[in-house]
Amino acid sequence: MATPVIMPRQGQSVESCIIGKWHKQKGDQVNVGDMLFTYETDKATFDEEATVAGTLLEVFFEEGDDVECLLNVCVIGEPGEDISAFRPEGEAEEAPAEAAKEEAPAAAAPAAVAAPALSDTAKDNVFISPRAKNHAEKLGVDVRFAEGSGPNGRIIERDVEALAQSGVAFTKAAQAAAAGSTDQFEGTGIGGRVTTGDLKKPVAQAVTEAMAAEEGVAYTDTPLTNIRKVISKSMHNSLSTTAQLTLNTSFDATEIMAYRKKLKANAEKLGLGNITLNDIVLYAVSRTLLEGHEDLNAHMLDDKMRRFNHVNLGVAVDTPRGLMVPTIFCSELKSLAEISAETKELAGACQGGTISPDLLTGGSFTVTNLGSFGIESFTPVLNAPQTGILGVDTIVQRAKEVDGEIKYYPAMGLSLTFDHRAVDGAPAAKFLKDLKNNLENFSVLLAK
Amino acid sequence: MPKSQFMDPDVLRQPGFVEFEPIPVNQYNKTIKEESKNFSKEDFMRIYRDMAIIREFEQMLLDIKTKSEYQGISYNNPGPAHLSLGQEASAVGQAYLLDKNDYIFGSHRSHGEILAKGLSCIHKLDDKELLADMEGFFDGATYRVVEGKEKDKGNVKDLAIDFLLYGALAEIFARETGFNKGLGGSMHAFFTPFGIYPNNAIVGGSATIAMGASMFKRINGKPGIVVSNVGDASMGRGPVWEALNMGAMDQITQLWEEGHNKGLPIIFNFFNNLYGMGGQTVGETMAYNILARVGAGVSPTQLHAERVDGYNPLAVIDAMRRKMEILNNQGGPVLMDTLTYRMTGHSPSDASTYRTKEEVDKWAEHDVLVNFEKKLVEAKVAKADDFAAMREDIRERMMKIVNLAIDDNVSPRMDLAKNPNIIADMMFSNQKIEKMEDRTPDVLIPKEENPRVQKIAKKERFGFDKNGKPVSKNKVYQLRDGLFEAIIDKFYEDPTLVAYGEDNRDWGGAYAVYQGLTESLPYHRFFNSPISESAIAGSAVGYAMSGGRVIAEIMYCDFIGCCGDEIFNQLAKWQSMSAGVLKMPVIIRVSVGSKYGAQHSQDWTSMCAHVPGLKVVFPVTPYDAKGIMNSALNGTDPVIVFESQRIYDVGEQFHEGGVPEGYYEVEIGEPDIKKEGKDVTILTIGATLYRALDAAKELEEKYGISAEVIDARSIVPFNYEKVLESVKKTGRIVLASDACTRGSALNTIAQNITEMAFDYLDAPPVVVGAQNWITPCYELDAEFFPQKEWIIDAIHEKILPLPGHVATINFTETEQIRKNKKGV
Repeated sequence: MATPVIMPRQGQSVESCIIGKWHKQKGDQVNVGDMLFTYETDKATFDEEATVAGTLLEVFFEEGDDVECLLNVCVIGEPGEDISAFRPEGEAEEAPAEAAKEEAPAAAAPAAVAAPALSDTAKDNVFISPRAKNHAEKLGVDVRFAEGSGPNGRIIERDVEALAQSGVAFTKAAQAAAAGSTDQFEGTGIGGRVTTGDLKKPVAQAVTEAMAAEEGVAYTDTPLTNIRKVISKSMHNSLSTTAQLTLNTSFDATEIMAYRKKLKANAEKLGLGNITLNDIVLYAVSRTLLEGHEDLNAHMLDDKMRRFNHVNLGVAVDTPRGLMVPTIFCSELKSLAEISAETKELAGACQGGTISPDLLTGGSFTVTNLGSFGIESFTPVLNAPQTGILGVDTIVQRAKEVDGEIKYYPAMGLSLTFDHRAVDGAPAAKFLKDLKNNLENFSVLLAK
Repeated sequence: MPKSQFMDPDVLRQPGFVEFEPIPVNQYNKTIKEESKNFSKEDFMRIYRDMAIIREFEQMLLDIKTKSEYQGISYNNPGPAHLSLGQEASAVGQAYLLDKNDYIFGSHRSHGEILAKGLSCIHKLDDKELLADMEGFFDGATYRVVEGKEKDKGNVKDLAIDFLLYGALAEIFARETGFNKGLGGSMHAFFTPFGIYPNNAIVGGSATIAMGASMFKRINGKPGIVVSNVGDASMGRGPVWEALNMGAMDQITQLWEEGHNKGLPIIFNFFNNLYGMGGQTVGETMAYNILARVGAGVSPTQLHAERVDGYNPLAVIDAMRRKMEILNNQGGPVLMDTLTYRMTGHSPSDASTYRTKEEVDKWAEHDVLVNFEKKLVEAKVAKADDFAAMREDIRERMMKIVNLAIDDNVSPRMDLAKNPNIIADMMFSNQKIEKMEDRTPDVLIPKEENPRVQKIAKKERFGFDKNGKPVSKNKVYQLRDGLFEAIIDKFYEDPTLVAYGEDNRDWGGAYAVYQGLTESLPYHRFFNSPISESAIAGSAVGYAMSGGRVIAEIMYCDFIGCCGDEIFNQLAKWQSMSAGVLKMPVIIRVSVGSKYGAQHSQDWTSMCAHVPGLKVVFPVTPYDAKGIMNSALNGTDPVIVFESQRIYDVGEQFHEGGVPEGYYEVEIGEPDIKKEGKDVTILTIGATLYRALDAAKELEEKYGISAEVIDARSIVPFNYEKVLESVKKTGRIVLASDACTRGSALNTIAQNITEMAFDYLDAPPVVVGAQNWITPCYELDAEFFPQKEWIIDAIHEKILPLPGHVATINFTETEQIRKNKKGV
């Protein structure tokens, strides 16, 4: 006789446990003492061992499912035994995906039937045929979003079919967990299915209303702009043709901050009040690259490395049309003030759409800054065929020991992505180390 | 309509008088002394004994019913008991000359008759035959209870009397050891090995059945006579008159062939106890004054009618002797008006408010036992002490029998808890018997020479030619040919098979199914009945019960209303009420009309399906018609075969290769997929199939919906498996037939589908039946019967809205409620 295995209650206050891992699959032979599955409470992880031998006839829950204590989790018995009596309430018979697909073609000739509309809001009270209901369970769609096209607005099979094709699908666990909820969820699971994870982030009602305002259309098609096409192509090209690797570090920004403060305080006198921390980083990069890091000031071409004599520094600029990277040619020859001014000029031209195409090519290394958005570290994508790109991160307060005392200092992050085909990890790290050193001792660098 | 009989106006228009012979009334007046040369002392004493046994048996039941006690034995019997105290002489007098080849059929008040007939048989049978009968009955289940308990050890006749009394009483007390396992009870107890055939709780119900049994004897040359025992009040029932007339119909003596052309060997006996429950038949409810008068109105023989003094056993024996002689010489029927009187009420609950104490007291003075004993003592046949001793002996025997019959250990009831299917398994006998008797069938010509057989041989057995074009009506093998072929084959196989109904012979049946049968069959196997649906159906029951096979035709389905009792109470019930002792190989062919208005166009499959015990089929293709008719004819159960007048001429459109020439069966109860599909199932009963196929075509062409069309073919029994499989596939079902929607069998099927395939349904099953109106004239057919459009509308409005479809029939909920509120 088939024996069900329940989700044990580990302590009086535990209402449910999450299944961690299945050690046996449906159909496996199980012996007494075999580990069936692990399960977790918010405090600990437990193993569930088989207490009877036989075949694992059915598994009612998947890994990651939150299972109410004492519910049947699986059934062990002899093949062919009827296990329907052990099925936890609400857990429908699961059909193989293939079977579901076979049934998928709508009963009515789809061409002749106006596509049933997708309901924009979830309903609490749903009239649905038993067949449509079962079909929905198999497909994992939430029938509360279906628009009934049957008599008296009854949801019938073809409505479920239409709903499945248009979107709102749930994983089994998510569907169970979301029962009763009228929120909309954004699906991030396979095929856009709503998973248990998605349940935690209901899309704002405003989105729903916005969708409703668009008369039920859930999206807008816009042709790609050329710049987006270029970005898309170059990004994809970059990631698919190079061997990218990112190193992260941070440096003590006390000195450059103090320096900038000084410039600001004397803005009227010096006329240098607009120099930003990013300008300072650009300056430091332009100087550091040629101090033995020529491999990063280079292009990785099919059969050769092209090392540049000058540091033609690309600067990533965010514009309404997309990312643009203008070039500060021969930056190593320019002063901090010149770099700063040119950067601003180039950025303005990019944003205004007046940038000369010539200035958008020819870079030998790129700097991109997401620090102003509070990004602490990221993975910049190489501007291929350049071999390196430096990401500039935000400043966070960190502690370090100075003379036996814990002192806080402003730490600015640096994220260097380099092409491992061209540069090994150690030289790249050395570049970062030198750059960090230059920035922490910026006055010395300026003096060089 | 025989051409041999000339209806000559020159003769028929001559003046004259209908003259009657005087009808004898109580003419017997012999003394004991005069009868001494006919009866020995033992005979006289046996007559007294048999009457005394009946008296004690009925008195015992009266005591138990009224006092819950008999001779100190307590028992409560909740079942009915219509007692015949006072009527003992009439029963014993009737049975005295009858043997096991003579059949008696009775009424609700027939305890006395079955005991008298049983006792008479026991006297006539030798020990070997008796033992065989007792031991062979239900494998000796009844016999074992009384075996070895006879007072006179080793006396088989003594034992047989115990057996008879016990079998009857155990039946009355609803014991499994009773004659019919307790399924018949007081009003239906019978024991065929002694020629005791069913008693009948429907007043007059036995008349048509007994007549059919006598037909069986005459047609098949069987020995013995048949006695129909009904009460005087049953003369108020139409079926009784129908039985008298059909039993006496002219053709039997004028047209039936040599050897079968004597009048039917039947006595229509009326035990005339002057009351029908409380209705006094003379002076109040009837017009005949003396019941025997009726015989004079039926035929020129006056049915040899006579009133006999049923209070004198010797008078009844004398009459029976004379009547049996008539039956043996010129044939019957005979009508006997056996005057008697019941001393107790209709039943123990009857307060006899309709008669005076003086009247009852006066009849008590005529008490049959007291007076017969007195006469025998006076004639010095025996002494009073002998009678007293005999009565004491009978009382002892009765106490023994009662103790056995109420003992749950030896006389258990059917254990339905242990075996819930005991009764269910008796509803149908489900046997396959090619021929009910093994002898050469009586036919006129070899089958190959039959003109219809030759004509059919030239027909195309499939409805379409090689190019898929329909074969013309004249050339195609039609549905009526399918029925004919099955029927004529069986006529050449089973010698007991007979067919009759209105306009069957010569005419060939109103719809030419029987065309050509006349050429092959003698009159006595194939004849025209009077327009007497009760007698047609009732006699078929009696014919089959006696061991024959019969096809009875009811010309229009609507006429089932004229033989409701015979079909619903008799035909449907006797196999199971006999606990499987009787078989009922009866085919009732019923034609469903279409253009003859409200009383000639109804599909009553549902009505027949409602009553347990009938198989109900409705074949609508030539292949199914022949195959189902073959199954029905080869079986042992009553089958109501519905035929539609719309499609007698339809050719076979489904069975590849056409209708086989040889024998094959289509299993009764198996629906058939006539067209495969995947989106919606349409299940039909009857000729609606063809409209459903039209609907399927339109659904496919206009809406891209693929319909699976299933022909139910049978309504009872019905195998749901194929339909469920279809519904699980399509998720949708429409059920259609020409029966009025309310109470249609389709609703039952729909309900079962809902229960068994609920989780697969995309919409509730929808029944599309005829309107709940009268059937209007043919010109309004389309407004009344389900049409192609109705089926599509039902799908559109209740199951699967079809884009662009405009419904013409209102299937909305509001309309449904409105109609039902109005009762239409």
